[in-house]
Amino acid sequence: MTELNEIDLRGLTAGNKRAWDQFVAAAAPLINAVVRRALNPYRLGEDDVMDAAQDVFVRLCASDFRLIKGYDPSRAGISTWLAVVARSAAIDHMRRRRQVADSIDDVPEAALAIEDRHVEKLKIPQGLLTDRQTLMLRLLYDEDRDVTEVAELLKIDAQTVRSTHHKALLRLREHFKIDST
Amino acid sequence: MSAKRSPMNDQELWRSLAMEGRAVSGMISDHDLAAWLEGRLAPAEAARVDAILAADPEQRAAALELSEILAMPLPAAPARLAVRAQALVGFEVEREPASRPGFLASLFAAGRRQALRAAAMGTAAAILAVSGFLVGGGLGESYAHQKQITVVSSTDTSSELTDLFGDGNVI
Repeated sequence: MTELNEIDLRGLTAGNKRAWDQFVAAAAPLINAVVRRALNPYRLGEDDVMDAAQDVFVRLCASDFRLIKGYDPSRAGISTWLAVVARSAAIDHMRRRRQVADSIDDVPEAALAIEDRHVEKLKIPQGLLTDRQTLMLRLLYDEDRDVTEVAELLKIDAQTVRSTHHKALLRLREHFKIDST
Repeated sequence: MSAKRSPMNDQELWRSLAMEGRAVSGMISDHDLAAWLEGRLAPAEAARVDAILAADPEQRAAALELSEILAMPLPAAPARLAVRAQALVGFEVEREPASRPGFLASLFAAGRRQALRAAAMGTAAAILAVSGFLVGGGLGESYAHQKQITVVSSTDTSSELTDLFGDGNVI
C-alpha cells in the first residue's frame, strides 16, 4: 500500500481516480482512528461513526478538492494535517447532527463540570508564568498527564519538562510565599 | 513577620491557584495546529498557540488526542469506509465528452433505454410489414393476377381486329 506522503496530490486534485483511491486506502486508518476517538464521548453507534468518517472524505473532495489544494507541505506533514482536519470535521459533523441528550449519561463529563466556588483561589498574576509554563502545568495537573506524555506532545525531551515544571513552581511558591511539603 | 502559607505539595499548590482573567481567545487554524504538533512553529507563533491551549480545555484536549493517535500504530479501518470513500470520485474517462459521435454512438447516446425503445419500434414495424404481406396473399399471387388481366385484355383486342379485317372488306 502506498504511504500517505507518497501520494501524487497534484494528480489527485486534477481528478486522477487512481490517485484518489490510493489516498483513501492510505488515509482510511488514520481518519477512522481520529474520528472514533473524537466522537467517543458521544457514544454513537457504528453506523453514525462511519457516516462521520465518510463525511471527512466528502469534505476532502468537495469543491474540486479545495481542502487538499490548500494543504501546505512546508508547514506540516500530510498525516498530521489530515488528522487535524479529520478531527475538526468529525466535531462539526457531530454539531450538525444536533444530538439531543436523552439522559445525563449521554453528555460528556467535561461538559458537566462545575467550578468549585466555595474555595477562594489565589489569582496568578499575568506575566508571572510564561504561556509554555502555564500550558505545561495544565497538562500535568489539570489533564493528569505524565512527564513522558507532555514531552511527546510538546516535542521536547522529558528533562526539559521537569526543568520547566520546577522553575514554574518555584516562581509560584516565591510569589505566594508557600513552602513545599 | 513573613506571612508564609502552610506547606503544600505541587499539585495542591496548583489546584489552589487560578489564572487571573486574561483575554486569550481565538481558534487555532488547522495548519497552525498541525505545525505546532510537529514542533515546527516559529517561537512567537508557538507562544500564541501555547497561550490558547493553556486557556482553552477543549482545544487542549484536541491537541492531546491528536498527539497520541499520531504516535501510535493504527488499526485497519473497516473495509466499507474505503469502498464508500473511493466511490466519491469517478473515472476520468466519464468526464470527457465524445468529440464526433457516429451513427451507432448517437443511437446509444441518450442511454440504453432510448436504444431499446428504437429497437422495439423497428421490430414492430417489421412485424407489421410482414403480416400485411401475408394477409394480402403475397407478391407471387399478386403478379399472377396482374398477368391474367393483361391476357384477357389482349384477347379482346385481337378479336376486334379479326372482326374488322377478317372478310376482306375495306372501309
